[in-house]
Amino acid sequence: MDRYLLQRSLAALLTIWITTIAVSMLIHLVPGDPVQIMYAQSQGTTPEELEEVRQRLGLNEPLVVQYVQYMGRVLQGNLGTTIRGEQPVLELLLERLPNTLALAGAALLIACVIGLVSGFIAAYKRGSWLDTSLMTTAILGVSMPHFWLGLILLFFFAVRLQWFPVAGNGIENLVLPAVTLGVTNAAIIARLTRSSMIDVFDQDFIRTARAKGLPKAMVLYGHALRAGLVPIVTMIGLQFTYMMGGAIVVENVFGWNGVGRMAIQAIFQRDYPLIQGFILMFACIVVTVSLLMDVIYAWLDPRIRY
Amino acid sequence: MSDVAMNDLSETPVRTRATDAKTVLAVEDLCTDFRTKAGSVRAVDGVSFELKAGEILAIVGESGSGKSVTSLSIMGLIPEPPGRIAGGRVFFDGQDLTKLTDRQLQKLRGSSLSMIFQEPMTSLNPVLSIGRQMTEGIRQHLGMSADQARRHAVEMMRRVSIPAPEHRLKEYPHQFSGGMLQRIMIAIAMSCNPKVLIADEPTTALDVTIQAQILELMQELRDMTGAAIMLITHDMGVVAETADRVIVMYAGQKIEEGSVEEVFRAPRHPYTLGLLGALPRLGQAGAVGDTELNEIPGVVPPLTDLPPGCRFSDRCSYATDKCRAETPPLETKRPGHIAACWHSDELESPT
Amino acid sequence: MQQRVRNAMAIASAAGSHVDPVPDTQGRWYVFARNLHTVFSAATANRGAKLGFFLVLALIVVAIFAPLIAPYPADQMGAGMSLLPPNGDYWFGTDEFGRDIFSRVIYGARLTIQVGLIAVGISLTIGTITGLVAGYAGGWTERVLMRLVDVVFSFTETLIALAAVAVLGPSLTNAMIAVGVAAIPFYARVAYSVTLVERNRAYFDAAYVAGAGHLRLIFVHLLPNIVPPLIVVATLGVSSAVLAAAGLSFLGLGAQPPSPEWGAMLSAGRDYFTLAPWIMIYPGVAIMIVVLAFNLLGDGIREALDPRQKS
Repeated sequence: MDRYLLQRSLAALLTIWITTIAVSMLIHLVPGDPVQIMYAQSQGTTPEELEEVRQRLGLNEPLVVQYVQYMGRVLQGNLGTTIRGEQPVLELLLERLPNTLALAGAALLIACVIGLVSGFIAAYKRGSWLDTSLMTTAILGVSMPHFWLGLILLFFFAVRLQWFPVAGNGIENLVLPAVTLGVTNAAIIARLTRSSMIDVFDQDFIRTARAKGLPKAMVLYGHALRAGLVPIVTMIGLQFTYMMGGAIVVENVFGWNGVGRMAIQAIFQRDYPLIQGFILMFACIVVTVSLLMDVIYAWLDPRIRY
Repeated sequence: MSDVAMNDLSETPVRTRATDAKTVLAVEDLCTDFRTKAGSVRAVDGVSFELKAGEILAIVGESGSGKSVTSLSIMGLIPEPPGRIAGGRVFFDGQDLTKLTDRQLQKLRGSSLSMIFQEPMTSLNPVLSIGRQMTEGIRQHLGMSADQARRHAVEMMRRVSIPAPEHRLKEYPHQFSGGMLQRIMIAIAMSCNPKVLIADEPTTALDVTIQAQILELMQELRDMTGAAIMLITHDMGVVAETADRVIVMYAGQKIEEGSVEEVFRAPRHPYTLGLLGALPRLGQAGAVGDTELNEIPGVVPPLTDLPPGCRFSDRCSYATDKCRAETPPLETKRPGHIAACWHSDELESPT
Repeated sequence: MQQRVRNAMAIASAAGSHVDPVPDTQGRWYVFARNLHTVFSAATANRGAKLGFFLVLALIVVAIFAPLIAPYPADQMGAGMSLLPPNGDYWFGTDEFGRDIFSRVIYGARLTIQVGLIAVGISLTIGTITGLVAGYAGGWTERVLMRLVDVVFSFTETLIALAAVAVLGPSLTNAMIAVGVAAIPFYARVAYSVTLVERNRAYFDAAYVAGAGHLRLIFVHLLPNIVPPLIVVATLGVSSAVLAAAGLSFLGLGAQPPSPEWGAMLSAGRDYFTLAPWIMIYPGVAIMIVVLAFNLLGDGIREALDPRQKS
């Protein structure tokens, strides 16, 4: 198991390292002069001022030097300052991050509860009308754009019924975005849970468990669910990264004050230091979560543990 | 009532090592259907036999002959749907198993009626420890505490010759070899003192040397506990080495039954003769082996497309027009030896 | 955004969905045609897939004949009064500029097909070549390529697409490229895993022994045989691409007004939707139907090709 985790950790570090290279070079991929584009929206910037920015961002140095400088700053926790307002990027991100994590977490909870339960039931009742209707709902859910679902929920529950506020950043504002994000992902989880549980139900060891005369509940939960959990957990780890990706869109629908909304604004404003910081942070979160999932996976599956 | 039914069945007294032993399991006209795209097929068609305490009864046939479905039907493990027990009775312990509720069957399964399977590698749950998988049945059926059950499991592991059982209880299936896992499976199956053990191709997936060990172990346990064993196999070598009595199945039907010596000496059905023809040489050490049944031309016909008359007729060198028109009945050909063939008397004995 | 899990399933069944290779003597086009035939007969084997196939066909027809079907040009302002609710003349109502929403949705089908073709074209081409080369070459090439694919894979498509748009700037073309680039790793993984299976088959050894060159081995011998799983992934990929591009347009990072792109329509209608909910209903329904169609079709083909899932 140690070897496995060491391997996974190294892979995680490699991912982050490659990300830093990509992120630091990002600005050079921009067609045209990035500094000019960045400041195109603020009038009256002189060429001297632009040159100064170029100096400050180190854009005149050779690429290798730029990367080393960038890494040096990043390792000290300095992600630079934003173009607009010259605020420290890291602080800005950390200020908004809890909102995004709360949204993604709440959505994941909703998605898991609905998805796991309905997927399990569908697999157990395979071929029944219940299975068919659950899976029909699921494929509709998978095909539903979440920004659109968000708009509809907003229209019915906030505008028409006024059960929830339209905008704001309280806990009551979290409900609709979390449901939006949770429901569409619940459909994916339900489909995967179903196919994974059907695989398990067909396994020889389930027949053995029944041949041992175990009560149905023990066969289902003690054997089938326990074995099916291994692939399901991997999938839930993946789901969390989608939740983070989906959160970017959903935050914009509901005006939820998370990093995703800030990132979109940064793209509009061509605020490259902020975009770079956002991508790096996002990568770190994704990598951390998948590493965590690897640990849980190893703990669940003795074939890896030993 | 059930006694009467069993007496009806014992039409042919059969010589076994436990001649006067009590009948523990009686299968009477068992029929099992499966729904398929091409319609309903009868995978087991009117099979009857009985099993006496302490005997090893082999059921032989190629894949598709219905031998595994027979055993799963007895255990009540036919997946439903698509499967269904369409008729017949299975008497065990004074009750008809086909009439029991699933809950009632649960009490019997794994305790007085247990089963082991072909693939030991996949028959145990990979994410649960061996200890957990050994003790859960014991606790369920014998009402033991966790600690008692663990000690009982260790005792059972010793009995199937697994070294360092206390230590190995904590391990997981992937840490065992196939042979060791089949020993574990046997230990689990025997742990609640079953009266009947059904072994469905228990050695097919194992190496030749391991096969012999497992068969020997089963015989030992039979001698020790007096349990009856129903051994499902496609391998006549295994039958010769292990069984007292043998039933040959073809396309869902029983076509021959008799003591092993009798059937091997003078088979009364050409199919059985074909199975024996596939053997290298009887009675030698190498007889227990991975002999394939490849000397009979053709394959078992699909159950959706059976020939009229004798089901074996299209593969049989003895077949006549009568065979193709009329189904031969099961008849007593010699005392304790029955077969379903119009041409039993023409068969030559294998050398 | 939801593509990854579905594709992971496709990868998992890739080996299963293999179509038996035919001896090369019958020619590569025979192999290719036979595989296509397998896929299409699979696609019509399943009720959901039939529905999907029909919807996709309908989408194509609508896109081709858009000028004939739509009563008004897509961006004709004042075709009616603004914010008219759906009625006999304006089936889906009108938007804030008095444009006919029905006509706009119809024209939007053209953009959607463009998105599907271009985005999937990019990811399919680059992904397949990457996977094929990695699987064929082995050794360091394989390790480096697949490691890189894994790294990109571990981000969500959304993030990669955002980064790409951040670099390229907002426009529908850039959004298509971004979405296409973001999905490359999935295609690469599928192509790679099937190539590994195919590389070990007899026909490949035969061609190798016969002295076929690298390019010939890759493109003539391997490529036609890895087609079926790739078709599954590409079909499902269209739905993810449409969804992702619409999402980008909705955020303002893709198609710009007055484009009748469905995501952009939703984005533009946001300010009015409390007054005129029809503005947001029809483009959303259109996106959902297209995504659903390709999902059904892709699922159907996969299920029909995967012997394990036949039940």
